[in-house]
Formats: sequence, C-alpha cells, structure tokens
Amino acid sequence: MSERESLRVAGETGSIDVSGLPSTVFGHRALTWWGTLGYMAAEGTTLIVCAVAYLYLQRNFATWPPRGTPLPSLSAATIQVVLMTASIPVMIWTARASRRFDLGRIRLGMVLSSVFALAFCVLRWFELQSLHTRWDTNAYGSAVWAILFAHATLLVVQFFEGATLAAMLFLGPVEPKHFADVDDSCLYWYFMTGAWFVLYLLVFISPRVWG
Amino acid sequence: MSAPVTADPDLVPPAEREGVRELHRQLDRVWRDGPGLRGWLMSVDHKSLGKRYVITAFVFFLLGGLEAAMMRAQLSRPENGLIGPDLYNQLFTMHGTTMMFLFAVPVMSAMGLYLVPLMIGSRDVAFPRLNAYGYYVYLIGGLFLYVSFFLNVGPDAGWFAYTPLSGPAFGVGKRVDVWAQTITFTEIAGLISAVELITTIFKQRAPGMSLNRMPLFVWSILVMAFMILFAMPWVAVDSQFLAMDRLIGTHFFNQAEGGDALLWQHIFWFFGHPEVYIIFIPALGYVSTVIATFTRREIFGYPAMILSLVATGFLGFGLWVHHMFATNIPQMGESFFTAASAMIAIPTGVQFFCWIATIWGGRPRFATPFLFILGFFAVFIIGGLSGVMIASVPFDLQVHDTFFIVAHLHYVLLGGAVFPLFSAFYYWFPKFTGRVLSERLGRWNFALFFIGVNLTFFPMHLLGLHGMPRRIYTYLEGTGWGSLNLLASIGAVTIFVSVVIFLVNVARTLRNGELAGDDPWGSSSTLEWATTSPPPAYNFAHLPVVQGRYPLWSRPLDPPVVTGLRTDQRELLITTLLDAVPDHRHRTPDPTIWPLLAALATGVTFIALIFTPWAAVIGGVLVAGPLIAWGWGKPKPGDPVVTEGIK
Amino acid sequence: MRDWLQSALQPAGPEAARVHALWVFMLWISIIVFVLVLGALAWGTFRRRAPGNVTIGEGSPGERGMKRAVSAAVGATVLVLFAFLVFDFSTGRALTARRTPAVQIEVTGHQWWWEVNYYNAVPNRRVTTANEIHIPVGRPVLIRLNSQDVIHSFWAPDLNGKRDLIPGKESSLWIQADSPGVYHGQCAEFCGYQHAKMAFIVVADRPDDFARWYAAQADTASTPTDSLALRGQEVFLSSPCVMCHSIHGTPAGATLGPDLTHLASRRYIAAGSLPNTRGNLAGWVLDAQGIKPGAKMPPNSLTPADLQALLAYLGTLK
Repeated sequence: MSERESLRVAGETGSIDVSGLPSTVFGHRALTWWGTLGYMAAEGTTLIVCAVAYLYLQRNFATWPPRGTPLPSLSAATIQVVLMTASIPVMIWTARASRRFDLGRIRLGMVLSSVFALAFCVLRWFELQSLHTRWDTNAYGSAVWAILFAHATLLVVQFFEGATLAAMLFLGPVEPKHFADVDDSCLYWYFMTGAWFVLYLLVFISPRVWG
Repeated sequence: MSAPVTADPDLVPPAEREGVRELHRQLDRVWRDGPGLRGWLMSVDHKSLGKRYVITAFVFFLLGGLEAAMMRAQLSRPENGLIGPDLYNQLFTMHGTTMMFLFAVPVMSAMGLYLVPLMIGSRDVAFPRLNAYGYYVYLIGGLFLYVSFFLNVGPDAGWFAYTPLSGPAFGVGKRVDVWAQTITFTEIAGLISAVELITTIFKQRAPGMSLNRMPLFVWSILVMAFMILFAMPWVAVDSQFLAMDRLIGTHFFNQAEGGDALLWQHIFWFFGHPEVYIIFIPALGYVSTVIATFTRREIFGYPAMILSLVATGFLGFGLWVHHMFATNIPQMGESFFTAASAMIAIPTGVQFFCWIATIWGGRPRFATPFLFILGFFAVFIIGGLSGVMIASVPFDLQVHDTFFIVAHLHYVLLGGAVFPLFSAFYYWFPKFTGRVLSERLGRWNFALFFIGVNLTFFPMHLLGLHGMPRRIYTYLEGTGWGSLNLLASIGAVTIFVSVVIFLVNVARTLRNGELAGDDPWGSSSTLEWATTSPPPAYNFAHLPVVQGRYPLWSRPLDPPVVTGLRTDQRELLITTLLDAVPDHRHRTPDPTIWPLLAALATGVTFIALIFTPWAAVIGGVLVAGPLIAWGWGKPKPGDPVVTEGIK
Repeated sequence: MRDWLQSALQPAGPEAARVHALWVFMLWISIIVFVLVLGALAWGTFRRRAPGNVTIGEGSPGERGMKRAVSAAVGATVLVLFAFLVFDFSTGRALTARRTPAVQIEVTGHQWWWEVNYYNAVPNRRVTTANEIHIPVGRPVLIRLNSQDVIHSFWAPDLNGKRDLIPGKESSLWIQADSPGVYHGQCAEFCGYQHAKMAFIVVADRPDDFARWYAAQADTASTPTDSLALRGQEVFLSSPCVMCHSIHGTPAGATLGPDLTHLASRRYIAAGSLPNTRGNLAGWVLDAQGIKPGAKMPPNSLTPADLQALLAYLGTLK
C-alpha cells in the first residue's frame, strides 16, 4: 500500500512517524495553493460586484452606452485578449518546469511573466482611453472604469509579484519552496486572465450584441 | 514506532523523564516569542495574536456599550436635552459600526484563530505572518475610527450609510469617508482571517480527524469563513464606490447622472444579511461545544447539525431584500424574499431541537457557561420569532425602521451571539489564561445580563408598534413613549452593571483566581483540553492522532501521537482534505516585524486615500517595501538551498 | 397613548386593520411556539434522571424516540411557517388590490418637512400645503411619494405601513381612515440632523368638512384689512422670509420652504414639533435653531414691533 495509506492505517491503531514525509509539495497539497484560492475568491467576488453594478445601472439608461458616448473601441482590448491568451501556454510551461525543479526554466518563465504583466498594464491604459468616457461623466463611465480599474489592480500586483520572484530566483538564495511559489503564481495567472476574458465580453462585446 | 509516545513527564518511567523534559525545552526554544516588547510585536503565534484580537474586540464592545448607554440616557425622557442631534447621530453610527465591524465579526474570527489550531491538533494557523498583518490592520482601522470620532470627524450617517444622505451632496466633510475607510480596514482583516481559517481547517487537522469527525465548533468556523469570503467584498466595494463618488466625482449613486440610490442598498444588504449569520454561526458552534461538555453527551444528530449550518450559510445569501421592503421594489420580487426569510428558520429550528434532545438525553451541570446557553435559548427564540414576523411584507411595512426592529436585532444578536460568547468566555477562560473565573460572580453576571437584556429590549417591541421610529434623538411628550423608554433605559443600566461584574470577575481571577489543570471542567471532549492551560507555545509536545468524534472522551490512557516532526525548526503537519491522512511537513515562519510594518504602511495608505486618490500610488509603493521584505526571507541555517535546480 | 393616534395597534383604516389581524395571528403562534419550545427545554433540562455519569451517544436507548421527536418538531415548524406564508400572502394581495382614489395627493419629502400637493384636474383648484394632510373619511386616498433630497419614509401607523420617498423614483401608498380624527405620523428613514422632528398629521374629515377645508385651502390669501396685519405683510415681504416661503396672493413665491398661504389653519408648526400658537410661532421665527438645531431656517432678528405685526399677519392666513 502507498506511504499515505500505511500512515492512515497506522493512525487507526497507534502512533505515526511522519519523518519520511516530504517538505515541498505542489498543487492542492500545498497550503499556499489554498491561500491563492482564497485570494482568487475574494478578488473574484470584488469583480463580480463591479459587474453587478454595471448591469444594474443599465436600467437607468435608454441606450447603453448612454446617448453621446460611443461604443468602446475594440482594438486595445482585443490585443489584450490575444496577448493574454498567448501568455497562458507560457505560464503552463513555467508551472510544469517548477514542478520539475528546473531553475533555469522558471527564471525565464518569471521574467516572461513580468514582461507580459507589464504589457498588460500598458494595454490597460490604452483600454481605459478606448472607453471614450471618464469615470465622472455619468454612471456608465463610473461603472466601466470601476471594472477596468479593479481588474488592473490584479495586473499591477501580478507584475510586482512576478518581478520580485524573478529577482529572488536570480539573486538567490533559492529554496525549494520558491518552486511552489512559482507554481502558485501560474495558478493565479489563469484566474487573472480568465477573469479578464469574462469582463472583456461584458464591457466591450455585450453592448454591441444587446444594444 | 507503533508504541504510543507520551509528552507528560510524570507518565513515563523515571529513566525517560529527562528525555521528555528535553523535548519540551527544545520545542519551547523554537516556538516561543522573543523577549520584551520587540518579541511581542514580532509574534506570529496564533495564541498570542488571538488573545490580543479577542481583547481588542472586547474593548470595542465596551466602547459600543458606552455609546448605547449615552443614547439610552438621552432617550429615557421625552424632549430630553442631554444630547443634541449631531452627537446623537454620531453615537448611533459609532454604536452600529463598532458593534458590527469592530466587535462582533472580529471576536468570532479571533476565537477561531485561537481555538481552531488547538482543536484540530495543530501548532499554528496556515499563514502566521498574514495572521499578524490582519490583526494589526484591524487594530489600526479601529483606532482610526475612534481617533476621528474624538476629533469630531466621526461618521454620522448610520452604520449602513444610505445614499444620498452619505453622498457628496449631503454628507458634508470627511465623516462618511472615515466610515468608508474603516470598512476597508475591517474587511481586509476579515478576509485574511477567513483565508487563514479555511486553509487551516482543510489542511492541518490531526491524523484521523476526517471531516466527519471534526468538532461542530470547527464546522461552524468553516461555514463562517466561507461566508466572509463571499460576503465581505460586497461591502468593501460598496464603500469604495461611495468614497469615489465623494472624492473623485463618480456617479454610482447619483440619480442625476444615471446612478442609483438603491444600488447602494442592494450591494450593502447583500453583504449585510450574511454579516449577521457570520456573527451568529460561530456562536452556534459555542453552543454545541458547551452543551456537549456540560451534559456529558454527544450532540444529537451530528450530520443534521452540519447540514443545518451549511444550509443557513447558503440561505443567508438569499434574504437581503427583506431590508428593503419599504422601497419601491415590485411586490412579486418581495414575495420570494419573504419565503426565503421564513425558510431560514427551519435549519435553525433543527439545531434547536437537536440541542434540546441532547440536553434531554444528557446529564446537565449548571456551571456558568451552561447558564449562558440557557439564556441563549430563551432570548434568541424571541428574536427568531420576531424575525419570522418581519419576513412578512405587510407587517414589516409597519415596523420597519422602528424600535420593533431594534428589539428584534438585539434579541437575535445578544441572544444568538453575545450570550453564547459569554458562555464561551467562561468556558475557555481557563484554557486562555490558566485560571478559572469565579462561579459566584458568573451567576450574578448571568442573572443581571439576562434581566437587563429583556428589560431593555422587550419594551422596544411595543414602542415600535406604537409608532416610534429608529434613529431619533428625541420624541414629543404627547406620544406617550416616555414610560417604556424609561424602562428600557433602566434595563440598560442593568446590563451595564452585569458587564462591570464580568470585568471585576476577570480582573480578580487574573490576579489570584483558581488555577486550572488541562481540563478544569472534567468533561470536555475536544483536543484543546488535552494540553496545559494555557497551552505551551508549541500547543502539543506531540501532535495527537484522532480516532473518534469526541477525542477526549474516547482516548486511551496513553493516546497515539505523531512523531517525526522536527524539533529544531517550526514545522506543521499537513494532512489531506477529507480523511486527514498525513501528507507533508510544512516549514512555518519564525517571528518577524514585517507584518507590523506592512500594516502600518497599509494604514497610512488607506487614511491618505480619504484626502487624495494619489495615495493609491504612493501608498502602493510604501506597502511594497515591507511586503517584499516579508516575502524575501533569508533561509535559516539548515534549510535546503537550491543553486542549479534539481533535475 | 389613547388620545395621540400614532400606533399600529390602533388601526383606523382597512389597510392598518388587515396588518393588525396578521399581527394578532403571528403573535399567538409565536406565543405558542415559545411556550412549547422553552417548555421542552425546561423539561429536558430539569427532568429527573437515573443516577450515573456515563457519556451517551448514538445507539443509546431513547435515541430512536429522540429522532422521531426531532423530526416531528421540524415537520411542525415547516407546517407553521407554511400557514404563516399563506396568511401573509393573502394579506399582501388584499393590500395591493386596485381601487379608484377619491383624492390624489403628491407628497414630496424635504430635509425636514413634508410638501403636500393635492392633484386637481382644474389647475387653479390645486392645493399646496405642508406637514398636514386632510382626507375625507371612509374614502381611499392615493399618495404619490417623491423626495427632493435624501431618502425619507412616510409612516402614519394608524392608517397603513410605510413607504420610502426616494429621490428620482416615485412610489405610492394607499391610505383610508374609517373614522374622523387626527392621525400622527413621522419620517421613518434616517435623513439627517432633524430626522427626529419631521412629523406630519393626517386629518380625516367628514365629507362636508373636507370640502370646506379644501375650498379654503384652494383660495389665495386675501390682503389683510387690519393695519397691524397689513404692516406685518410688509415686514414679511421685506424680510428674508421671501427667500424660501410663498404666500399665494402676494409676490412671495419661493418654494425652498413650506408654503405659508394657510399657515394659520394648521395645528402644528415646524413639521409637527410645536403646536401652532402665537408664542411658539414667535419663538420659531426668531430662533428656529434653538427648537430644531440644524433645520434649514436661519434665525431672524426682528424688532418687537415688527414681530407683533408679522404674527398678526400670519394669524390672518387661515
């Protein structure tokens, strides 16, 4: 029987010696994975509240966006979606490398992650311009700026996290737990980009479809 | 390896005694806090932080109580001139904000943060440094609110801050901004405690403590934590929308530009209703624990109890519109919320009946903790019944925003949370401090509190029905509300006296109260009673192995334990989610000052945000420093280091 | 409390009466549930037991009986809640049944007074008053509710439940009084400094009294004949009063504060804070802040002679 199974059986009858257990694990076995999940739940709920405000306020307007405000331009946001999609395989590759304790690859991966995140932030600036409205123009402006800005905080935090991890991996000393940190960073990446895909559809596409 | 290894020096043959003592010394060296103030500020010990958290929350309870006392003094007579409208409006705002955000939820999370690792047989919470950060953020937030209050910039738009009254047009000055930022502080602390508790409960339970062997208190904390995770962001975002309307001209709630005053209410109450269950559900955990101990019987219907907790948690998210029945929401929609609000009585009823069955089948012992539980039953049920009444839209339209609601909410919160909390305090005080509170003073505390609560709040049902709205600083003589108000104010004095008795009890006991052994009650069932009172820094010399639902009732003289964890560095045992099979060993952090510094930087940022949005940028930089230092720790000697990667 | 009619337990109209009936039903059920549950608790706690000190659990004797008892109790709870829902929904449906209003009134909430406008097909028969509503006895009245500033709530418990006044959204409320009387109400949604003193009255008149009141209210104010009152009108028109108040029939037409055209016909001033007597009116005019701190009316310094003239004039505004 597996090591785990033998420990379980041992516990049913007597004491258990855990000295043979590992200290670095990945995925849902690790505490930080759960912490990341918790952070995702909180941030995700925050984005949902912004989306709810956006949807609720629509009923106060005859047209959406309101008369006088053009539809948000698609170019910057679509490039963002494409870039984010392209980044995902890179992060999957990095996550796999981290589970194999491949230091060289995860160094490259975290550098790429920082570059991507920086690019996302820059594109986010252009996306905000492409809304053709200000946060203080009307409730529509406030709602769309809130969504983009709230999500932007994820991008900014991710940039700093990626850059810090990259610096740690290059400057050292590197500990086994840093590999798990990289894996968690990639998990968070999927949430960050996935959330944007949904919000992109909400803000940039749905007004064109529903009118 | 299969022979049990005990950690009590007196239970081993003399030859092995020194070895066991050496084990304790090693663990103590590794796990204890550093000396002096510096050590205290750097602590990441869940017990040290948990005690601070509980005491801080209780201080806020006392402050909130003083605010209530002042209000009751003003309302004791019609057209009283003691307190004018401006101060009164600040008082009820501070009272609600303090009780809901600075006392009720924090005290429940704090009790969880202290007790859960002990109850599940672990040595700390999952993220000890984050735990410290969360506490300091909470403390700074609370201090910020009160300093503002004393500087006459305290919030005055109610704890619920309805727009447009709280908006830029009518909420003059920075008062409402202070409120909005206080929310930010407390919500961050709450979310942190939720992530801690979920991760700790899922991953750190002692081997053998599968989910269906987990104590009901731990289940209640788990449900509470999930609710916090999905409810608190709503009020955090709502308060930021309000802050932005006030500071940078957004229009979320400005009707003139397409915003909506009701949007505030929907978002707020979507948080606000789960909030009261966040407060109530851990209290249900106390009730189960204390009833089991003082009737010496397993809680009847363990699976039904868990399902009820979870059902209450879910249903709690579907009731929020019942706070908005008087607005112009369509009748059809309101009916759904009436049905849901009535339905939530069912899982609570299930719990009540299971407890009564437990008591019936057990052997009650009338120690003070049990008395407070009896008080809980009597007081909460009145609040629950009035709650079903106000689920009805036509009836609610009469009593909404009147003293009937004040009566209801205090019956459910005092009955449903504070009575169990006092029970918990009396029950766990020996574990926290090593001394047992006086039974005699405890009985007086209970009796006066019970009488006081009923005397204060029962008349308020009638006052509301007789036309007295809430949040009024005075009322005319002709209304005839004077005598019931006077009665309520006398009740408030009684509550005050009972709380003073509690404080006297605590002070005297700490000075020279009766010393407690591991389990002074003699019939406790959960793991925290298997170690000393108070527990050592490392909680248990050997982590326990659990073989049943009530470990202390079914364990042999020499219980099985976990061996093999390192004693030269801090290590936790991580187990699997469902069955708690040992999975890996986790190196947990040593004490550090960075959480405190990060919290101070966070505090400065949030406070500056009241004055300028650029604080977000500057503050971000300010916070980044401590956060990077926090994360970029140097490995300790003996920790593995990787140079070229492991192929 | 019997003379002062501001209570949901003394219904004076069909709406409040229906809610009262629901209340009585719920109260009795609650009392029965309370007695049963606490009785069960008391019995379980204090019943005599055989001696022994063993912890008991699943499989112990009595466990199956307990299961049945608990299940029965849960079942009873569901039934009681269902009965409550049935009674509640039927009450709600009755209260929202459509009818034709005898009178239509528009009430606009201000910080901290009530603007009252009576709708009439003939524009110059529309009535504007403040803080006092008259309705004909025994007839349904529709009140449309709006707010000029923050959220308020209109609540006259003898007549019906409350409804919020939300800026930018209109809501409506039916009231009907089945016996003549003065029914008190006040704002029931926290609206700032003087939320506590934002009261109103609904006066239910017999039909001919109502017609007479309405006709008088629809008239403009006549120019006084008495010289002191005439002087008082001059004082009014040359003081800051005209910045906020209107009196139909004079050039004063501001709408920031309550309409004063028929001030002398009202029972209270300052939104129900004070009975409408000469002395109270003097105090209010000179120093509103002393009576209602935070109210939007500033203090006014008038010479004693001017004050007497003004009071005489205001006294003619019936």
